[in-house]
Amino acid sequence: MNTLPVLLVLLLWGTIVGLDVVTFPQSMASRPLVAGTVSGMLIALVTPDVPLNAIFTGMLVGSVLELYALDVLPVGAARYPDYGPATVAAVYAALGWRPEAGLGGATAVGLLTAVLGGWTMQMVRRANAVAIQKKAADLAAGDSGAIRALQLGGIRRDIARSAGVTACGLLLGIVVWPLVPSGTENFRWVSVVAVGGGVAAALGGAIRGAGRTRRLAWVMAGLAGGILLVGLQ
Amino acid sequence: MNGRWRAFLRLFAVQGAWNYERMLGVGMGYAAEPLLEDLGNADPARHAEAVVRSAEFFNCHPYLAGLALGATVRAEYDLVPGQQIIRLRTALCSPLGALGDQLFWSGVLPALIAAALIAVCFGAGTWVVVAFLLLYNLVRIATGAWSLRTGLAAGASVGQEISRSWLPKAARWIGPAAGFLVGLAIPLVGAWSLQWARDAQVAVAGAVALLGVVLSFRFRYTMTSVRFALGAIALAVVWRWTA
Repeated sequence: MNTLPVLLVLLLWGTIVGLDVVTFPQSMASRPLVAGTVSGMLIALVTPDVPLNAIFTGMLVGSVLELYALDVLPVGAARYPDYGPATVAAVYAALGWRPEAGLGGATAVGLLTAVLGGWTMQMVRRANAVAIQKKAADLAAGDSGAIRALQLGGIRRDIARSAGVTACGLLLGIVVWPLVPSGTENFRWVSVVAVGGGVAAALGGAIRGAGRTRRLAWVMAGLAGGILLVGLQ
Repeated sequence: MNGRWRAFLRLFAVQGAWNYERMLGVGMGYAAEPLLEDLGNADPARHAEAVVRSAEFFNCHPYLAGLALGATVRAEYDLVPGQQIIRLRTALCSPLGALGDQLFWSGVLPALIAAALIAVCFGAGTWVVVAFLLLYNLVRIATGAWSLRTGLAAGASVGQEISRSWLPKAARWIGPAAGFLVGLAIPLVGAWSLQWARDAQVAVAGAVALLGVVLSFRFRYTMTSVRFALGAIALAVVWRWTA
């Protein structure tokens, strides 16, 4: 599945969602559920002969990574994993396997790419600060052109960062592919662990985020309701 | 396109040059530029000072930045002393950050994404992703437009306008709703993702989840969810390859 058109389309989409995380326009297209589902749709569009259901795979991988993303509050100066390009790479990594076998490897690719994304985001922020220091005199003189140049420079840096992170993630997906024989029982167990990790992330994040406020009671009520619904299904 | 519209559109990229020195400062300066154009024609000296102030250190929630932008620009036109405008900007940082984080990052976003996940688990198709994007951005754009309009109208008295507005009430209300929906979504997504699994595999997933939560609280600063998951996945790979 590592055909060039698929890779190019996913690289473009990964760059768009990478930019969306913080810089522009923060529309939440970078949320894993959205990024994953749209990745699946794009793959299905570019290669209609995909043997497995790409849209379902995108939604599945996106939903599991969304559990991990629920643990993250994208607050200002904090360093947090960048799940946008990571999800695009993870969906690519999951293709070609049966979804239940590919989910574990795809989640690992997604998490590694997300960590790389968070790290590069800090590099861009430092580069922005260096650019500002270089234009300190112009800023002190009230030069609007300097502000414009700094702003556009920051956006350009983030475009390059997003493209780079997506490319690394896709490369990781290509590397992981041949390691796993499709549909093996062994890799279903890896998927089981990946889903368990996602549930741990979302639940831990929800409890921590609630603190000892009344929100905690609502989280627990929701959890009880969810477990009940699962039992009834 | 008038200055207000251009400023509104530029606010979508207010974090474009985010950095650890001025944080949102440069983005605010970029968004303020079209609003300050008339001041440049009327009073070039004041305009230059206003441009300098507009790009200084600032930080708040990006969706509510319009409140601070509008208020400070209006204060510039009202010829409020520069030091007072700087104090106004500084005073707005924390409340706008806290309110925005509570309303959007801890409220609207998790609530809507959890609702979308629940819908996916009950068989909703790709339309749910479109619905999520539309609804979220409707709330976000409406809030951004209201912020800029309110800031420009209120000027230096924007603090009173914020405390009288719907923002604090909405921030209080949305938290419990988000908590409930996220709580509801977690087991449903777990079960939906494992619909192919045998009972023993579901039990293992539950055990991994429980262990992850316990470890994340026991080793709060070192055991992040990503580290735990990557470690667990690596152990699972080794276990299955050597089994």
